[in-house]
Amino acid sequence: MNYLRELPKFEYLAPQSIPEVCEMLAAHEGEAKLMAGGTDLIIMMRRREVVPHYLIGLKSVPELNFIREEKDGGLTIGAMATSWEIQSSSLVRQRYDFLAKTAADIGSIENLHVSTIGGNLCDGFPCVDFPAPLLTLDAKVKLVSQRGERIVPLDGFYLGYQKTAVEPDELLTEIQILPHNHRYGGAYIKFHDRHAIDITTTGAGAFITLDSDGQTARDVKIALTTSAPVPLRVKGAEAALCGRKVTEEATEEAGRIASEEASPRTSWRSTAEFRTKLVQVLVRRALRQAWRKVTTSSSSGAAPDLWLMHPLDPRIGENR
Amino acid sequence: MTLEEVIEREGYSVIGRPTPKKDGWIKATGEAKFADDLYFPGMLHGKLLRSPLPHARILHIDTSRAEKLPGVRGVVTAKDFPGILYGDFAHTRDYLPLAQDRVRYIGEEVAAVAATDMDTAEEALDLICVEYEPLPAVFSPEEAMQPEAPQLYDRAPNNIASKSEFHYGDVEKGLAESDYVREDTFETQSMKQGMLEPHACVGLWEGSGKITLWSCKSSPYVVWRHLAMGLGVDPGNIRVIQTYIGGSFSGGKQEGMPMDFCAVILSKKTGRPVKFVHTMDEVLVIGHMRHSMKIRLKTGVKRDGTLVAQHCRIIANGGAHASIGQLSIFLPGLGLNLPYRVPNVQMESYRIYTNTGFAGALRSHTQPQICFARESQIEMIAKELDLDPVEMRRKNARAGGDVTPSGFKLGTFGFLDGLDRVIEASGWREKYGKLPRGRGIGMAGSGMISGARLMSHSASSAQIKIREDGTVALMTGSADIGQGADTVLSMIAAEVLGVRVDDVTYAMIDSDVTPLDPGAFSSRVTLWTGNAVKQAAEDARKQLEEVAAQKLKADPKHLVFRDRRVYVRHDPQRGMDFASLVRSTQNRLGHPVMGQGSYTSGDEPIAVQGGYGNASPAYSASVVVVEVEVDEETGHVTLAGIWNASDCGFPLNPMAVAGQSMGAFTMSMGQALYENLIRIEGQVMNPSFRDYKMPLIVDLPKVENVHLFDIITNDPNGPFGAKEAGQGPGDGVIAALANAIYNATGVRVKSLPISPSKILSGLEESRSNKP
Ligand SMILES: Cc1cc2nc3c(=O)[nH]c(=O)nc-3n(C[C@H](O)[C@H](O)[C@H](O)COP(=O)(O)OP(=O)(O)OC[C@H]3O[C@@H](n4cnc5c(N)ncnc54)[C@H](O)[C@@H]3O)c2cc1C
Repeated sequence: MNYLRELPKFEYLAPQSIPEVCEMLAAHEGEAKLMAGGTDLIIMMRRREVVPHYLIGLKSVPELNFIREEKDGGLTIGAMATSWEIQSSSLVRQRYDFLAKTAADIGSIENLHVSTIGGNLCDGFPCVDFPAPLLTLDAKVKLVSQRGERIVPLDGFYLGYQKTAVEPDELLTEIQILPHNHRYGGAYIKFHDRHAIDITTTGAGAFITLDSDGQTARDVKIALTTSAPVPLRVKGAEAALCGRKVTEEATEEAGRIASEEASPRTSWRSTAEFRTKLVQVLVRRALRQAWRKVTTSSSSGAAPDLWLMHPLDPRIGENR
Repeated sequence: MTLEEVIEREGYSVIGRPTPKKDGWIKATGEAKFADDLYFPGMLHGKLLRSPLPHARILHIDTSRAEKLPGVRGVVTAKDFPGILYGDFAHTRDYLPLAQDRVRYIGEEVAAVAATDMDTAEEALDLICVEYEPLPAVFSPEEAMQPEAPQLYDRAPNNIASKSEFHYGDVEKGLAESDYVREDTFETQSMKQGMLEPHACVGLWEGSGKITLWSCKSSPYVVWRHLAMGLGVDPGNIRVIQTYIGGSFSGGKQEGMPMDFCAVILSKKTGRPVKFVHTMDEVLVIGHMRHSMKIRLKTGVKRDGTLVAQHCRIIANGGAHASIGQLSIFLPGLGLNLPYRVPNVQMESYRIYTNTGFAGALRSHTQPQICFARESQIEMIAKELDLDPVEMRRKNARAGGDVTPSGFKLGTFGFLDGLDRVIEASGWREKYGKLPRGRGIGMAGSGMISGARLMSHSASSAQIKIREDGTVALMTGSADIGQGADTVLSMIAAEVLGVRVDDVTYAMIDSDVTPLDPGAFSSRVTLWTGNAVKQAAEDARKQLEEVAAQKLKADPKHLVFRDRRVYVRHDPQRGMDFASLVRSTQNRLGHPVMGQGSYTSGDEPIAVQGGYGNASPAYSASVVVVEVEVDEETGHVTLAGIWNASDCGFPLNPMAVAGQSMGAFTMSMGQALYENLIRIEGQVMNPSFRDYKMPLIVDLPKVENVHLFDIITNDPNGPFGAKEAGQGPGDGVIAALANAIYNATGVRVKSLPISPSKILSGLEESRSNKP
């Protein structure tokens, strides 16, 4: 690892529109990097892990920053929506409180205001938090280049450690979440050493839709953070629950299967062994929480002051 | 006695009242100038080239390409210095401003550049070509002690950098006579100061030979000596000027560092002022860590819990330099003398050279480590003997008047009062062993010196000048490092002179101007410098008293200085305004009002290799209780409550005492649960505050669950009875947390940090052990 240095020299480009971004990407293919909030990119540049000639700033492209409801009831989030905007969006909170909570927990208050969801997805790190809850929502992303547009499901977007489906000439413009026609509930629970502002040791997201019988899970999606080289859907665990009542024993079993599907690594941050144990616990808890939401109330929207709630605040007791 | 009763009885008008820090305003508004805020015309920016290898011979350094880079004004290597070793203890000195023929850890300084801007300076580093011959490296002290291990220094066989050994009483006999003997090994990790302001300095070498260093130094006079030593110049040519300091906690702000030497030598070379600022990366990679230790502690007790004998063997990772390590390795002995009566104590402690960043002083210098071991073990012994851990501590506790086996004379020692306070306030009796699973309560006790008498220079001095408007210029050599020295020392002067705290200005340390003093470390400032300030203020008051007595036709003994007035005690109307008294004395009678004072605590030396004697003029005592909640499925620990009672003698500024107490607590909590500077093959893996995890505000309990108590003992050696408050309150915290976690889960963790994975493994083990 290299030590933090001053930024290397680069030329900053400030496009005004998506076509302009694509044009610049095409013109400087291999030499340019997109810059969203820069919370990861700037550090990587200061450590000389990437040294681009051109930085294409996305802040000057207003059409990338939005959160909107589609006519069909779907939700679309622009790549440049910040964590803060997502955590405070009433649309997101009402629909997917756990996504708002995920956003609220992306680092410090400063980081919340700068970091974007697009940057988080395109990082390609298995330890960032947005991919898992979005995977459970079956989200898709739109990739745009001069060659055209394509819609790619997030499940399949991650090709390897720090490798995504985004081609060098492409830009991720938005994240699409289709409407859900059944009752649903979701949760994302992450573990880290401190109570806030910490890299996720392991995280688990769960999303359950209820069958019309009001008793059993029609569909279950489970995804993990820092449990494999990529953000990971654990489909075996999902399958074990579909069509069933999500009982204690069922969550237990799903947790166990998920931990078998996971392949975390040992690094100086943590051990594979500990992470595997966490997968079991976190999957169980996420499922329990999602099931509680789906069976008890209509998704209620998250508490107003999500950020930095005290760890012993009863409102976060639901993490257990 | 309560605080209010003491204030009432003594008639204090300033001290004892919560007083906001004097520089709070300018720090909050950004007006205060830290070293990095200084700009001088023509100033250059410096940058250090660091070794990428943990151990290597330097064969050749070619700086020619760097020198040719436009914007580069100077490049220096070891050749530009006289090659004189500098450092604290003559027999362990091994610092050089830049590595000469060998590098001994990744990050060691090899060359330095000064350029017109930072980017150019950095670019120039890439152009310096250093030819290394890699040498085998050794990273763990145990391996380094093996005969075939790579040797770091010729003068240190088996890589023993320094050692300290003592034996008082007869430990072998004591252990033989004990009913129960227990031996445990505890391991502690590398930890960093984590001060918010990285080291920074500006150096200037003028044509006349005058050398000036502006820097955030907590001990400017130590730096002054180091610079003279390493540069081979007369100390009189050197001037060290302190800037505002953004936290110190000892370490590099206490001594001369490569950046300081390079700033002045590059200034000499270029004729310009040169500034250096470390990045946080550099701060975390270079030395000055808390020593990581392996502590083997063997304790013998009677059936009733009476401590009989204690034998401690410590192996500490010293890293690549001696630093202040000879002192570091002596200080764990403090822990063996305080806070319990153990008649037979023996210690052998070894500080070992390895190819890692070097260890040195860090807040409460080695005490948290030794307290972790001792206070964890007491709890285990109590459990084994089915004794109440509180009663076991009570039975063995020291009290004022005690003399410890190694000769510490405890004037006052409010340990038992502290114990009672926290036991009652925390509801210990209702909680211990009665909380629901996953919830636990734990305690620990500790003692701490108020300034060590161990260095060749330990005396403090102070000067006071009173201006004609009645304001007071106070000068000492003890830097305000954020701990509140500026405020508490001003309060002492204000109390004596009967003015307000705001009437007193506290000067930055300037070696050309302010009085000589070792600086801010070892919990010495309030007691040592405070006594000097009190004496200086009394001296100035005496000068005014003589004039006032004449003017007011009163006996000087009957004069009261209070609220900016001087008056006769039994006839308060008969008095005069303080400022006009100063004007009469100074402007009319021609007696400039200037007071001076000093403090020392005896001259008999104590050998840091393990000698007998009184280590300090006073000792504080602390008892801490914590309550935790442990998530038994993940091992995650949440703090639910803190009860901390500390005997600071008398809290001169209760607000500052509370702040220090909380700061010390939090720092130790960081070491207990999160912090760990991780090196793999000598390379630091987490050189940022994102990955080097210090506690956050959300990691602490809610304010309503934080309870801090001042135990008042009015120590006769302290100014107005005050002892230290900045370090002791944190000493027991790690053990208290370890004990609370044990209480909550039944898992005993003997290595730091107490990570969730260790707790979880422990839980699994105990589950699988159950039939
Ligand atoms: C103190 C701190 C705490 C943090 N805590 C967390 C945390 O708790 N959870 C977490 O998940 N992350 C955390 N992070 C990491 C980081 O803030 C997030 O991953 C953030 O969302 C990244 O977004 P950004 O806008 O800053 O991305 P940038 O750094 O600007 O970009 C990241 C990468 O994505 C590429 N990129 C950006 N936008 C696009 C786009 N539209 N199309 C294609 N490629 C693009 C960039 O070229 C770059 O390679 C933390 C970081 C810090 C410094």
